[in-house]
Amino acid sequence: MLNLIRKDIALQKKTLIILLLPLFAYLFFGSSTIWIGVLFCIAIIMQGFSMDEKSSSNLLFNSLPYTRKEIVSSKYVGACVFTFLVLATIFMGNLIIHKEMIQLEQLLFTMSIVMLFISFAFPFSYLLNSQYLMIAFAVLFVLYFIIVNMFIPNLNDRIRELVQTALSFDNSLLYLIVVVSVLLIYIVSWMLSIRIYSKKVF
Amino acid sequence: MQIIISNYSKEPIYEQIYTQVKKHILTNELQPGQSLPSMRQLAKDLDISVITTKRAYEELEKNGFIYSVVGKGSYVSEQNNEMIMERKMKVIEEQLMTAIQNSKEIGVELSELRELLTLLYKEEA
Amino acid sequence: MENIIELQGVNKSFNGFKLQDFTISVKRGFVTGFIGGNGVGKSTTIKLIMNLLQPDSGTVSIFGLDYKNHEKEIKQRIGFVFDENILYENVTLNEMKRIIKPAYKNWDDALFNQYVKKFELPLNKNIKNFSKGMMMKASLTIALSHHAELIIMDEPTSGLDPIFRRELLELLHELMQNGEKTIFFSTHITTDLDRIADYITFIHNGEHIFTKEYYKIEEEYAIVKGETNLLDRDTEREFIAIRKSNYGFEALTGNKQRTEEVFGDAAILEKPTLEDIMLYTKRGKDKYVESHS
Repeated sequence: MLNLIRKDIALQKKTLIILLLPLFAYLFFGSSTIWIGVLFCIAIIMQGFSMDEKSSSNLLFNSLPYTRKEIVSSKYVGACVFTFLVLATIFMGNLIIHKEMIQLEQLLFTMSIVMLFISFAFPFSYLLNSQYLMIAFAVLFVLYFIIVNMFIPNLNDRIRELVQTALSFDNSLLYLIVVVSVLLIYIVSWMLSIRIYSKKVF
Repeated sequence: MQIIISNYSKEPIYEQIYTQVKKHILTNELQPGQSLPSMRQLAKDLDISVITTKRAYEELEKNGFIYSVVGKGSYVSEQNNEMIMERKMKVIEEQLMTAIQNSKEIGVELSELRELLTLLYKEEA
Repeated sequence: MENIIELQGVNKSFNGFKLQDFTISVKRGFVTGFIGGNGVGKSTTIKLIMNLLQPDSGTVSIFGLDYKNHEKEIKQRIGFVFDENILYENVTLNEMKRIIKPAYKNWDDALFNQYVKKFELPLNKNIKNFSKGMMMKASLTIALSHHAELIIMDEPTSGLDPIFRRELLELLHELMQNGEKTIFFSTHITTDLDRIADYITFIHNGEHIFTKEYYKIEEEYAIVKGETNLLDRDTEREFIAIRKSNYGFEALTGNKQRTEEVFGDAAILEKPTLEDIMLYTKRGKDKYVESHS
């Protein structure tokens, strides 16, 4: 399974290096670290995922001595590895550019959002295809836009407030609950993906 | 040892191999005790399937022309002259039987047949 | 004799197509050619053998092991070539090797390099720029570089030029030299099989028609040609299928000896090609379906 993760990293080496530039640019202009973190993590993870979606890649890896369980698991573990890499880069970047440490809460929050996204995106993509994921998100975005414009004009602000309040909580127990629930959702999603993928026909 | 295979012959390929190896043995071109190429080597060299050479070797072995040692290969058998003679005589007998049957069918007499045989025998020599 | 592949009573419904009570076996140390028309279940069978599909019922056993408990062990010992390119396109052959190599315990770099040299493959060119023949050679190189005992190929010669097809057959001959390897490959270019196949497995519409030694086919089957007045209800039963015209008939028999006895010198018997057997079997089955529906 480690081979499969290593393969994903090797294949995305070039992309990762290219992405380093905009990442530092964003950091330099001081955009929200959470926003950048989430964006880059998801972009990298989903690109790695879509690379292996073609039936030819599925044929290849299922014919090699790997089990379907390992193939799915490598994507879930790999997603954690990529998240860690991106967050570590952001952390270091921030330290170098702004000479400041990013709060642990911020990192945890970013990680949770990424993991929640993956928990939804992976089973969905195994069931259909990650191309449909883009459509699903486009639809969601349009819906959100309609809601913001027609029903709750200050939804953006409310979400921002919510995030701020969440971050300002000084309650480590609350953080623990959040992290544990995200982890649980992640694991459930992982098991679900294995089940979906085991029945898949190439 | 030369073996020529025709893909268009009516005779099956294993039989072509059988006949030619047999001929090489009977003419002493292949000496008793001499090793034959392995089935797989021969198949590769003749560009035919392994099972075809296997069948040919099996037939050769069944009729006592070669013997095989497990894990080592196949060798030309010590040819027992008496055995060969006997076998040949049997074949001649069978062929003559056919000739006789055919003769009877169209009413060729023994004397006529004998004459024909003498004539052909001398011609061949 | 030991069977390397065994499918026992396999049923599989898939894409509106059915394999029914499908039983085949493939013998160790020999080349088995797998023939049948398009869409009769060749690829489905190969996918069942590779565990890319699971049977609805019945058992698949490879090297005497089942996939449920020994999936990785089995796949360690298989080399595979598919008719489509399954390698990543945006990497070089060298990079592809680095991806695949760690999957196999017995990967042999020296062997890999030997085939790369033999096939004159570029190591540092993107695979997407490979020609069809080169892609096939690259797949084959990868399939052969981990000392696999069983080589499975799905239509390896389709779309290849005759010269390379010949070279491939020579290579297969070489692989068969030590008697340890088993090759199972599907093809519809039946002339490839004359030179290499020890056994022929023939399927039609999801049904196993036969598995025979190649030479037995010549012994048992024959194309029969003669005047139509030879045919009547009894003699027609001798044949798998008959093609009649104003000038005579042509038919396939699966019992050459008896046909010879029945017709004597009145009919001409010829050696059938595999294509003849495929064609007439299909016609025979279609007629059977017609008359029973």
